[in-house]
Amino acid sequence: MARRTLKRILLVEDDPDIQTVTSMALGSFGGYTVHVCGSAAEAIESAAEFLPDLILLDVMMPGMDGVDTLRALRDIPETASTPVIFLTARVQPADVAKYKELDSLAVIRKPFEPTVLVETIQDIWTRYRGEAH
Amino acid sequence: MAAVNAALEELAKQYAIALREYCRGGGEAALLRAYQLGRQAVSAGVGVLEMAGFHQEALVSALPEMLALEESARIARRASEFFAECLAPFELTRRGFEEAHAALRELNQGLERRLSAALQDFESAQDELLEQKRMESLKNDFISVISHEVRTPLTSIHGALNLLKSGLGGELNPQGQRLLDAAYRNSQRLVRLVNDLLDLQRIESGTMTFNLRPVDLRSLLEQAIEASQAHAGQLGIKLVLQGAPPGARVRVDSDRMMQVMTNLLSNAAKFSPQGETVVVEANRRTGGVRVGVTDHGPGVPEEFHGRIFQKFAQAASSDRGGSGLGLSITKAIVEHMSGHVGFESEPGRTTFYFDLPEWRRTVSREKAAANTWPAGR
Repeated sequence: MARRTLKRILLVEDDPDIQTVTSMALGSFGGYTVHVCGSAAEAIESAAEFLPDLILLDVMMPGMDGVDTLRALRDIPETASTPVIFLTARVQPADVAKYKELDSLAVIRKPFEPTVLVETIQDIWTRYRGEAH
Repeated sequence: MAAVNAALEELAKQYAIALREYCRGGGEAALLRAYQLGRQAVSAGVGVLEMAGFHQEALVSALPEMLALEESARIARRASEFFAECLAPFELTRRGFEEAHAALRELNQGLERRLSAALQDFESAQDELLEQKRMESLKNDFISVISHEVRTPLTSIHGALNLLKSGLGGELNPQGQRLLDAAYRNSQRLVRLVNDLLDLQRIESGTMTFNLRPVDLRSLLEQAIEASQAHAGQLGIKLVLQGAPPGARVRVDSDRMMQVMTNLLSNAAKFSPQGETVVVEANRRTGGVRVGVTDHGPGVPEEFHGRIFQKFAQAASSDRGGSGLGLSITKAIVEHMSGHVGFESEPGRTTFYFDLPEWRRTVSREKAAANTWPAGR
């Protein structure tokens, strides 16, 4: 079940510059607590401890990609039902269809406007909470 | 006795000579002379058998000459004619056969030529198709590279500039601000180009999905204007909805229609002089509705009219930061929704428009009623 408010976001992104821009936008405009992971392994390791309300997940990552990371996170009891938004440049129709089949809330396409990212995430969160209740 | 015999013999000879002359064409005179000599000979005691012998001798000696002359020629001619007549059908058949054979040979050669040409065409078409497929695959790879490899660094660049512009990095001096504005504007342009390329690739590969639903035209136009108002405002342009037919509905994908309207409004605002108004107007037409977006810019150059909806088409005089794909995408989207796009332009006034079939629910109800029984219930 979703929490009432969105506070903690786990950002899984291998590109350091995108990490900076995204976490800065989320922290500055949304006031969220953001934990940044540069790989799937890092995310899997820290997710249970960080206990995020929401996971922002890149798809194209070296080693384990975002899709497999999501599956791995679902196997961890603490993140088995944590909502996930894909944050990716891979938005070909076949890719999007695959994300929909997976247990994800939405897909945010790169490049995005950091200044409207918080608004977009809040909209998705509100819709999700509305559906969850 | 011997003298008598000699005289008789002479008479007989004369008779034979006269007869030969006749046979050789001597005419009535020769015949009469032969006749008289014959009578004299018979009177002088030549026997009938002897006369027959003379007669036969004269004929026999005359006949070869006679045959060799015109009679033989006549007979030969006649014989030739006879044979010709007899052979005529066979000759005709032979000629016909030869002609038919020649025609058939020619036809065959023609067919062979055509078959060969068709085979060559087929092979070229096959090569062309393979080449097209190869190019399509290359293009898809290229789009894929753009999609993945360009979008990632662009996310950082555009994101960082976006945050700087929001004031997150503190206030810049005017020169720094100008530089930042230029960098941000151009990163926006790149983002648009990348997104447009992706859209175009989706449209061309048929993978763009259209969720068609009947929607109220006026609401759609109002939303589109509202969504573009901020961007137009930055350029000092006002967007106005001048009219829309009440109750008009169209069956479209709302998101795609918003994309079409955003493209048209953005273009109109870009090309309008500052302080001008861009007018959106919708009207009912036969079988559908027309939505027009009118600006008061310089107009579309005449030489550009024929290719304005083509990919990467931008007038030479245009340097307004477009990808050159917007109108091409607009056209493809509208046509996918059974519509049509066009424009009318003169200096100081340009209208880009699209026509769409009007969605009439009442028609569906009437049809439904007509299909029920008893009628009208």
